[in-house]
Amino acid sequence: MNKLKYKIIPEGMLKGKYMPISAIFIDYADVKACNLTMLEAFKKIAAEIPGPAGLNMFDMTATTTNSNGIMLDGGMVSIAASDYGKINKEFGYMEMPEIKYSEELIKEEPHLKQWKKSFPERKLHMGPNPNTKVIPIHNAVLTGRAGNNNSGTEMMHYINMEEILLPITGQLEIMKNGKVEVGGTGEVISVGIGMVVGEEFGRIVPHRQWKCGKTAHNSKEYAKTLKSHIPIIAADKSALARSIIGALETGVIPGRDIGASPAVLSIARHMGIKPDMENIEENAFIELASVGCTKEWMTQDVERLTPEQIIEKAHEIIPGVEKPKTFNVSDIVQVRLLGV
Amino acid sequence: MKLMHTKLPEFIRKMKKVAAMSGSEYKECNVVGLENLKTAKMQSNRTGRIERAVEDIAKHDDVYKVEVSVIPRIPESMHSCIIRGFDKEGKPVHAILESINILHPAEEVLTHDCPDIIDRRPAIGRH
Repeated sequence: MNKLKYKIIPEGMLKGKYMPISAIFIDYADVKACNLTMLEAFKKIAAEIPGPAGLNMFDMTATTTNSNGIMLDGGMVSIAASDYGKINKEFGYMEMPEIKYSEELIKEEPHLKQWKKSFPERKLHMGPNPNTKVIPIHNAVLTGRAGNNNSGTEMMHYINMEEILLPITGQLEIMKNGKVEVGGTGEVISVGIGMVVGEEFGRIVPHRQWKCGKTAHNSKEYAKTLKSHIPIIAADKSALARSIIGALETGVIPGRDIGASPAVLSIARHMGIKPDMENIEENAFIELASVGCTKEWMTQDVERLTPEQIIEKAHEIIPGVEKPKTFNVSDIVQVRLLGV
Repeated sequence: MKLMHTKLPEFIRKMKKVAAMSGSEYKECNVVGLENLKTAKMQSNRTGRIERAVEDIAKHDDVYKVEVSVIPRIPESMHSCIIRGFDKEGKPVHAILESINILHPAEEVLTHDCPDIIDRRPAIGRH
């Protein structure tokens, strides 16, 4: 009998924050080693969990993008939601197809200029196929009380209506046994998530509906409150800094190619990289200013730092999680083996 | 159009009537999930099929009462949000139309502890 490994953060309290549903993290390599399909693996794991759960599967040899268009080490290939040990046959499972490289794609989605420079030869997985995904608007899967939305980065409980934010950068740290921050999403991240890039197969929004420089929230000063109260498990800031630096070193410009989020801007300043002020729309400036990222702050000359110095000082430089507590992944995640 | 769609109060009345008359004794039937609708036209052929389902459930000797829960078939619904401002006389003077998408619990919240389930729904897109 093969043993299928998966990681789980069980439903309930996690270091002072409420996990409304169990969060499951699976490596596709382990699934293939057990001769299972992705859906078969999800069903077998779901059968072990009686309560509501969100299940995400990763190809750590692939790449993906976060909501600001930063390309990352590792990608998510499918998601599921389960409850009472089962997965809804119509709405409970969804795959993120491989995106094929083309010059046309890079022209339309210029943040992907990072691909050949930072992650050559890697497969790219972003969000689901917008034409075949399981529900019309959200990139979500649902079963019973459990919802797994925005391509596996927001898990929620539809009865008590509580939610946990799981940015992709933090989930990849979980897969790599790195470090994560547990805390409140806060106003800065709430605004930052809205600084999106246009993607046909977007993790959150399909069909390139928003171009870089716009705000997906488009809510003025209300944007900072949209997600601020929700608990979050995010990447440790050193890991986040490493990803953002890697992107900026490929020549992508905040506000033109990649989203001008507070995290991106705070690092770009110390690398001497100015955002494309002409391309950022006024409503985005209003939202950024509401959390202290004014036009003056963005363009201010600050001390130039090396990538190593930025990574070392990441916790001082990058604003983000409210009242964060940093943990080794092994301190918050259980590893389980399932006979299959 | 009279034959095509059923008035909302008539839909509710029909379900209560079928439940009351189908079993060996009177059985109460509650229709839930439509409380915020004041007026609506209900698809007639589906009304008939739901009447049949209420009858089939009410006929069971171990059933004491019946509930008809109406939830979104796709657990996501898109709505218009009409924001209106009224003057002192109650006349609308300003309006903004917005949209909001709502995620709903899926059917397992109502069926997970039920041992006998028959799914008669057509597949999505085959209605």
